Amino acid sequence: MSSAPASHRWRAALFRHETLLLALLATEWCYFNAVGAHFGTLDNTYDIVRHSVEFGLLALVMTPVILTGGIDLSVGSLLGLSAILFGKLWRDAGLSPAAAAACTLGIGALGGGLNATLITELRLPPLIVTLGTYSLFRGLAEAITHGSDTFTNFPPSFLFLGQERWLGLPAQAPIFIVVALGVWLLVHRMTFGRCFRTIGFSPEGARYAGIPVKRRVGLVYVLAGTVSALAAIIYTARLGQARADAGTGYELYAITAVVLGGTSIFGGVGSVHGTLLGIAAIAVLDNGLVHARQPREAAGVLTGVLLLIALTGSVAPKLWAARRRRPAASPPPPASAVSPPLATPPT
Amino acid sequence: MSRYFREWSVAAALGALLLVLAVFAPAFFQAQPLLSLAAGEAPTLVVACGMALVIICREIDISVGSQFSVCGVCAGLLAAHHAPTAVALLVAILAGAALGAINGALVAGLRLPSIVVTLATMITWREGLNWWRQGEFVYLPDRLQWFGLAQATGQWTLIAAALALMVALAVGLRRLALGRFFYAVGTDAEAARLAGIRPQLVKFSAFVLMGALTGVAAMMNVVQSPQVDPKSGTGLELKTIAAVVVGGVAISGGRGSLWGAFAGLLLLACISPALIHLHIEAYWEKAIQGAIILLAVVADGVRTRRAKS
Repeated sequence: MSSAPASHRWRAALFRHETLLLALLATEWCYFNAVGAHFGTLDNTYDIVRHSVEFGLLALVMTPVILTGGIDLSVGSLLGLSAILFGKLWRDAGLSPAAAAACTLGIGALGGGLNATLITELRLPPLIVTLGTYSLFRGLAEAITHGSDTFTNFPPSFLFLGQERWLGLPAQAPIFIVVALGVWLLVHRMTFGRCFRTIGFSPEGARYAGIPVKRRVGLVYVLAGTVSALAAIIYTARLGQARADAGTGYELYAITAVVLGGTSIFGGVGSVHGTLLGIAAIAVLDNGLVHARQPREAAGVLTGVLLLIALTGSVAPKLWAARRRRPAASPPPPASAVSPPLATPPT
Repeated sequence: MSRYFREWSVAAALGALLLVLAVFAPAFFQAQPLLSLAAGEAPTLVVACGMALVIICREIDISVGSQFSVCGVCAGLLAAHHAPTAVALLVAILAGAALGAINGALVAGLRLPSIVVTLATMITWREGLNWWRQGEFVYLPDRLQWFGLAQATGQWTLIAAALALMVALAVGLRRLALGRFFYAVGTDAEAARLAGIRPQLVKFSAFVLMGALTGVAAMMNVVQSPQVDPKSGTGLELKTIAAVVVGGVAISGGRGSLWGAFAGLLLLACISPALIHLHIEAYWEKAIQGAIILLAVVADGVRTRRAKS
């Protein structure tokens, strides 16, 4: 931040990445509009929004997690567990949907708190901790429902949240906008949130700078857990059904959106607006391929390939520069290249 | 404490589980179901060995499930078109090695983090396979099942093959220079490089080896049933990572052995049938697996902290 040229270059790179994403999005939109008859309609746009809000919420809170150099694989499973517990609280405990939703948010925070405690207090690698809770949360959801029980017949006042329009927008869109704005302000406009990038850039340095690394890292996982529960409520309202397999594989889409949006998987660099563009690119691709009469699997293949291209694109200039500087010797790996998701955050 | 303390403690947990079963559910110890269980887990053991190699190098591969399915379908299709079993096996191994080489090139060549690379290849191969086959089963000729042997002989052959592979790899990992390189690179890649090892090449070879072993495992799975399910590899990555981590291979690289992975796999493999025999609902399996993974990493974390202080 101190030297002007460095900050210029950094901004230029960021700008370039996001321009590329916008170009990709525009290409997708034009192509599908030309191929699919009903793609460009307002109804379909709302459809895209409805289908992408849940994984979009997960991607939004995954951004600070990855910025700190961590990863959270358990968000999709926590979504499933929260959906089940929400149904359980509403149907079996007799709570009103609003009260059940409030409790569910608390449960999500607890789930995230479990991740946070194991990662910060016991200094365990986020990757393996969240892999364990990925299995644990989904397993609990299956055990509670005996693998087959589902919750349905929610009151229309609750289903409104997922299926109707409010102020001309899909009812879940305002929630998404509020969360997106909140995360954006947290990460980009508050010193509190700038810590995330500092920690991801150098946890040891952050500690010497007086940042309470443990508490900040713990917070991002609790936030991820809480928003997973919020996504579970919206998911249940959209489908009118809570099932144990809700949100299976959503963690992959969330991580893809974040990395596609230009956030470095090593931590330290990235933006929330990039993630928003990443979410849009995946959501439009997913919906558009259906309108272009392509099989559903094509979206999965293209998402995977896009992720690989985005990753390669993010390191290619650095590798190329390193090779040009020292043509003979093989360049040593950048200090951050030793898989930070595996590394333990110091305290 | 002895060098193999971690491995022995997993073995002790397994022994305790078997003891509980012997007292409360002796029906668990019937020869035929146990043999089927062991033969069914033989492919998982082979994949777990590969996973242990990759994790010792401080990388991870979560695309093995998709690789497993792709290799199985390729081998099955060849066999269905009257190719000899040996050719099908060879193609499965080559397909696995090729997929592993793609992961390896991206991780070692471009220095991308393995978790995201294999996440991307996992989606790509899985959805690509669904696109190609539309979830269709491959029906196999009769002569392929159990290599044309009797069922019991075939099962014993598979178990023996998996164990032989594991022992060979475990000994190689201790005795061969390449085996030591895996530990060196996993402990500290930069130090290994200064010592004259090429860390990226070692990582690349770990991924290729992982792919080839997945190919072998896929073939071992194919011969056990009259058709190939294109979803047969679903969840395999979790199962093998769990086995390896429970067995004491450190996720931060450079530490652990295949014997531990073997003990971890045995422990996890016994849980599902044990639940049925102890009259606990089988739906708890995934939750218990997750709890065991967390318990194992917490135990490791506490131990290393105590060792440091």
